[in-house]
Amino acid sequence: MSKKKNTLARENARSTAFAATVFLLPALILIAIYMIYPIFDTFRTGAFKWNGISADRIYVGLANWKTLLADKVFWSSFSHNIIVMIFSILLQIPIGLLLATFLDASGRKANIFKIIWFFPYLMSSVAIAFLFNYILATNGGLFSSIATLINGKRTLVDLLGKNPQALFAVIGVMAWQFTPFYMVYFIAGYSNIDTTLYEAAIIDGCTRKDYLFKIAIPLLGPIFKTACTMSLIGSLKYFDLVFNMTQGGPARGTELMATYMYRLSFSEFNMGYGSCVAAGMFILITFIALLFNRIFVVKEDY
Amino acid sequence: MNQQETDYRKQKAKSRLAWGVAIFFAIFWLLVALIPFAFMILNSFRKQFDMLSQGVFHFPDPWFFDNYPNIVKNGFFGYFFRSVLIVGISLVLMLIISSFAAYPLSRMSFRLRNLIYAGIVACMSIPMHVTLIPIFKMTNKMGLRDNLFALLGPYVTFALPMSIFILTAFMMTIPKEVEESAQIDGCNKFSNFFQIILPLSKSGLSTLAIYNGVSMWNEFAFANTLLTSANQKTLPLALGQFKGEHSADMPLMLAVLVLSALPMIILFIIFQDKLVKGMMAGAVKG
Amino acid sequence: MKRLLATIITAAMTLSMFSVGAAAEEAKNIPELTSEPLTITLWDIATEDPTKSIQEDAVQRFMADYPNITVNQVHQMNDNYKQQLIVAMAANECPNMYIHWSGGPMAEYYKSGFVNDLTDLYNTYDHPDFIDAAIAQASYDDKILAIPFGGLSGCDIFYNKVIFEEVGLEVPETIDELEEVCDKLIEAGYVPFSLANGSKWTGSMYYMYLVARHSGNDEFAAAYDQTGSFTSEAFIWAGEKIQDWVKKGYFNDGFNSLVTDNGEDRALLYDNTCAMMLHGSWQIRSITSDSAEWAQEHLGTFRFPKDAEAEAKGVPQDVEVGTAIGNGFSFNCFKEDGSVDEDMLNACYVLATQYYNDDIYNERQMKENSTIPSIKGFETQVEDPNNKVVIDVFFNASNVQLWYDQYLPASVTEVHKNCMTELFGLEKTPLEIGEEHDAAMKAALAE
Repeated sequence: MSKKKNTLARENARSTAFAATVFLLPALILIAIYMIYPIFDTFRTGAFKWNGISADRIYVGLANWKTLLADKVFWSSFSHNIIVMIFSILLQIPIGLLLATFLDASGRKANIFKIIWFFPYLMSSVAIAFLFNYILATNGGLFSSIATLINGKRTLVDLLGKNPQALFAVIGVMAWQFTPFYMVYFIAGYSNIDTTLYEAAIIDGCTRKDYLFKIAIPLLGPIFKTACTMSLIGSLKYFDLVFNMTQGGPARGTELMATYMYRLSFSEFNMGYGSCVAAGMFILITFIALLFNRIFVVKEDY
Repeated sequence: MNQQETDYRKQKAKSRLAWGVAIFFAIFWLLVALIPFAFMILNSFRKQFDMLSQGVFHFPDPWFFDNYPNIVKNGFFGYFFRSVLIVGISLVLMLIISSFAAYPLSRMSFRLRNLIYAGIVACMSIPMHVTLIPIFKMTNKMGLRDNLFALLGPYVTFALPMSIFILTAFMMTIPKEVEESAQIDGCNKFSNFFQIILPLSKSGLSTLAIYNGVSMWNEFAFANTLLTSANQKTLPLALGQFKGEHSADMPLMLAVLVLSALPMIILFIIFQDKLVKGMMAGAVKG
Repeated sequence: MKRLLATIITAAMTLSMFSVGAAAEEAKNIPELTSEPLTITLWDIATEDPTKSIQEDAVQRFMADYPNITVNQVHQMNDNYKQQLIVAMAANECPNMYIHWSGGPMAEYYKSGFVNDLTDLYNTYDHPDFIDAAIAQASYDDKILAIPFGGLSGCDIFYNKVIFEEVGLEVPETIDELEEVCDKLIEAGYVPFSLANGSKWTGSMYYMYLVARHSGNDEFAAAYDQTGSFTSEAFIWAGEKIQDWVKKGYFNDGFNSLVTDNGEDRALLYDNTCAMMLHGSWQIRSITSDSAEWAQEHLGTFRFPKDAEAEAKGVPQDVEVGTAIGNGFSFNCFKEDGSVDEDMLNACYVLATQYYNDDIYNERQMKENSTIPSIKGFETQVEDPNNKVVIDVFFNASNVQLWYDQYLPASVTEVHKNCMTELFGLEKTPLEIGEEHDAAMKAALAE
């Protein structure tokens, strides 16, 4: 009897493994070709002193890594990334959740809100960089105008031209751009919750608030965690808007790891070290992301 | 007036107040979201000189309508259809492959599961620019130099880790019993996936379609690196026609951006309804 | 640098004597091109008209004359061009003929084996009579490495004539007079200079000119090879002058947050906030294309004024900041075994010297693009009054100092650009930024 059970279990495990392999295979093949190979290549290039184009490159072993550990620009970029990450999570996720909750509670009537709230996500970085350069401008920009109105006399707010506010201006624009995505994400999360749960809760005499805090939000657990992870990784490897709007300036005040790496590799003819920075960046992001997922374990039911 | 009634009234007043506050903020956010977008549209109806001399946040005076015909004349629809083609195909493939991969990661236990999951997270951390040179070389070796379909591989693959990650989370929220009851009915893993899990992941899939659709639609770096001739280029590269070394016709470029955002808005209006229906009609039929 | 210039001038003189001897129009001395099929890949950044149509036309005319040769002309976008080129070179797919801005990157491409030495071809065959500064700029290590074709760009002060008239101002001749002009403008309620220093290289123009006016070429040349220093007198003087001007309100508020590519500096001229703008001469084209009327009525140009004190000491006051070539083509024509592919190189040379840079091309550049070719004789053909000022200044310059941000090694360029925001932002002293430049320059020279 027990032997039979054993074989059954083994059979089961084997069929599970087989099914898992079949399901995972296409994704793994593509990832191996287009992602694992390039990142492997990056680590290899990081061991050379190389301008990126010359046929001869000099093997320097761990010298680039030593430079990296002592590189002030890299670590200040990293700290900018951490600031961006913290504020992105604090802004994008809660506002996104709030918007989604509002939409979830008001149903179809609020469709127009949902559509317009989503607009920022549809704008390309080129347009965002252009318009926000003017919105944030010291002279005639939105914030200077508001400050002038409040103060009663001409007041200038220099948001992009000075540090550290330039970094926060970028964070604000990023939040503006990405919050709509988290909104949609949480709407999807809400809609995945079994409606019968809601009906049952209401029949049991729950208020909407109770339903929200005691049933819906806990059920959103895994979704919430992935949203945070996405925002975390996204802000640690962010590139687009900074490159288009501030070019890392003023005076490297908005330099991020990705823009630094890009500049080294593609405009300073320092591909070897640039690759090392990219590899370092990859290690740091992966580490932080996995750590985050370890710390915030949501009860996983599978 | 009895106690119960007062309570009820109090509660109702309170909830009315809450709604008031909520609607106030909702409208505030509406403006925050709308104003830059509106000025993108308004500025596309101006001449560069008017925009610069009157200021960017000024209504068109006079209105200038030639930007749009100008764009269309410069081959806009070619760029547009190529973008539709490549984004459409990439998106469908990506959704299929990522839902395949998310299924075992969320609902099966096997030995390498945690390792693969961690690997997926690691792949999300890869800075995109380091892959440019290797992928450029690979594309040339595959004989796809300057071919629209060279984008297929990178587009699908770079959307995969994030999508698998999200879908895994979504599939985890589907109650376990759903599948167990099916298994008793003699379904195997494969039919489980197609008949139960996939339909129940609809809301996750549509989120991913939106997220990746938008990022593929606006993707610039790969397209710019892998495509060189005008009859292969995608929409984000159309901007180049109006931007030279020292000059940029911003209103024209904004007009291109408005036209490229438009189909996304229309698709979103269609898709977002699907998102709510989950809630309204109960897409989850246990 | 000087020695190099001298060699080139001698070479050019011998050559021009030679070409006078063989002046007969029909007997063009150009290499005979192969009759075998040949494909040339060409990269440019001509994505927008009229530049695009002018350059495509040159290529089409070449292909019509040589039907066996196919030129695969690829228009790359300017913004990411340097990245594209590095990706292609790293993958060993470098185009056979490609545009660049000379300076540090050209040297890098050459050292990495992607540039043919053109000195012999240039000395043997016909070519347009390029101005000396252009050939100097297309050379590195005493070798000619590129054929100019983009036209020259000077750097001058563009001003609003109407405001000057209204306030009763004359065009200043000296820096002292310029300061007087600025003070009067401020009194009249105008901001003297429009500056979009978010782009960083815009502020650099003031720094370059002040250094050049105060010390000619000497101190920069010495700082470049570090026999001198970026903390020498002229650099400190320039830095202090800039910070003094910032404090006196010569520049618009929030200049460090404005981006010139967005036209934010031009906007301040158009709305009458600012009266002047120091900028590259392509601004004439941009302003004219924004509004020909405005350009007609308001736009005036004058050269960066002299430093009277330095002039008294004998420092030349005719050093021009700018670029003598705009863009140049370098050729990458090598066979698999690393030897020069003569057939292809000759074809590229003929295309670049006889089709680009020919009369049709130059005329269209002048008329449609208001760009002046870096070829002798064109200075007399300029009609536009503003371009006339630019060209007069340019052709009478004793030396053309290429923009620091293109001339310096790429790693120093980054430092320089960041220092410019900090200098203008009053965050660092002239001495501090000089020291940063020195450190970066030393590191670059050590490689």
